[in-house]
Amino acid sequence: MNVSSSWCFVAVISAPYIRDMEPDYHQTKRTVSVLRQVIPFFVGTMEFTILLAISPVLAAQSRELTAGEPTVKVASAALPDAPIPTDAVLAAEDLSSTAMDFSSNDLDQQTSQGGTPAAGTQEPQQNPAPPSLEDLGMTPEQTKPDPDAQARLDRHTRMLKIHQRLGLITLAPLAAACISSAAAPPDPRKGKENTVGREIHVGLGSLSVAMYGLTASYAIRAPRVGNAPARGGIKVHKYLIYIHAPGMILTPILGAMAFSQASNGEKVHGIASAHAAVAWTTVASYSAAIVAVSWPIHLKF
Amino acid sequence: MREHRLLAFLLLTWTAFAQADHSWILDQSTLTYHMSHPLHEVDGVSHAAKGKGVCHAGQCDFLLAVPVKSFDSGDSNRDLHMLQATRGAEFPIVTVRFRLPEAVLAAPTLDCDLEVQFAGNTAHYSHVLFHQVIQGTEHHITGTVPSTVSDFKIDPPSFFTVPIKNEIPVRVDMIWHLS
Repeated sequence: MNVSSSWCFVAVISAPYIRDMEPDYHQTKRTVSVLRQVIPFFVGTMEFTILLAISPVLAAQSRELTAGEPTVKVASAALPDAPIPTDAVLAAEDLSSTAMDFSSNDLDQQTSQGGTPAAGTQEPQQNPAPPSLEDLGMTPEQTKPDPDAQARLDRHTRMLKIHQRLGLITLAPLAAACISSAAAPPDPRKGKENTVGREIHVGLGSLSVAMYGLTASYAIRAPRVGNAPARGGIKVHKYLIYIHAPGMILTPILGAMAFSQASNGEKVHGIASAHAAVAWTTVASYSAAIVAVSWPIHLKF
Repeated sequence: MREHRLLAFLLLTWTAFAQADHSWILDQSTLTYHMSHPLHEVDGVSHAAKGKGVCHAGQCDFLLAVPVKSFDSGDSNRDLHMLQATRGAEFPIVTVRFRLPEAVLAAPTLDCDLEVQFAGNTAHYSHVLFHQVIQGTEHHITGTVPSTVSDFKIDPPSFFTVPIKNEIPVRVDMIWHLS
């Protein structure tokens, strides 16, 4: 291409000037001669341009280009007598970030060896690395271990396990306090006082409240993990706190008021009369909270 | 002219090499683990898996990765417990690697040898069968990985002092396409 195409290029450029200087006969003869040389040149150029334009489309089937993969960049400087690149050629050049320059010397050497491009440039494609997490678009923040978070999770789980056990154990004094409530009020048949029954009921009630407080403290002090809103049974479990927590505070207060009124020979009245109702509501919501956190239950033995 | 033809030949050779390597991309996925307990049957689902396969010289290397915390059992408390039991903050990603001959990628059944990294341990599962349905460019793949808690040295969580069953099979439902 160097000699012949350069000559063709000069011939095309100089044709108008030659036409002005020579007679028509010579002009026609020369034009035909020039066209014979120019047409193959342009055909070759078009072939090259089309191939260059479609090559990125074909290569797009393996779009996972890495920095080490060879890409083709045809540098204009390496072909000093080449025509000005077309837009398609420029677009193809822009696709590649790394260049592999073909100089005319390299091409001559490959032609003489009858070989393909240097083997070293094909190495990355011959032995591509297996996909990695980075290839999947995962960031280091997503993949890096977080021992602190794991420690928080461990502590969170450990405290909630204690919360669970204490909560189940608290059911026992709570149930016993409910049962003993039958013997708590003053019994007119045995006189105004009913000391034994009252003491047992008060003792069991106090134990229940203390156990309840201890159970709650483990849930309250457990470290928070994440900010995701509660979903599932735990959500109901948490809503029920708004019922049984006030109930646990109100029940002993109302019980003391009721017993005081009864001890004074008065009929239990006012807010104190709600003691039993508040107590049963508290126990029911507490039991429901235990079931809720375990829901749904599928018995399968 | 000779140089032009040589350049054309080289370009064709290059594009032919480019076609030899291709990759697979995971479009959609649903991974579901199943946990059994005498009182509970739980399914945890994740749609957050990412996957890629790279084929070369007739072999394809696949990688599937899913964040442990992306599994949702419908109960945030249980999910946190799962995350703790599997040491999900220390080892946040489950990875599955396998290699398949390129020639079998269109077969209705894929026989895979899986290498699963989870909870800081690696387990190998041989001859795991996946069913494949090809619809256009989409390859719909389903199957179950027969994983167990003990494979990954996880202390089985318990409820009412009764531990969960050792088997935690993971159902896989994925759609891949050739990139």
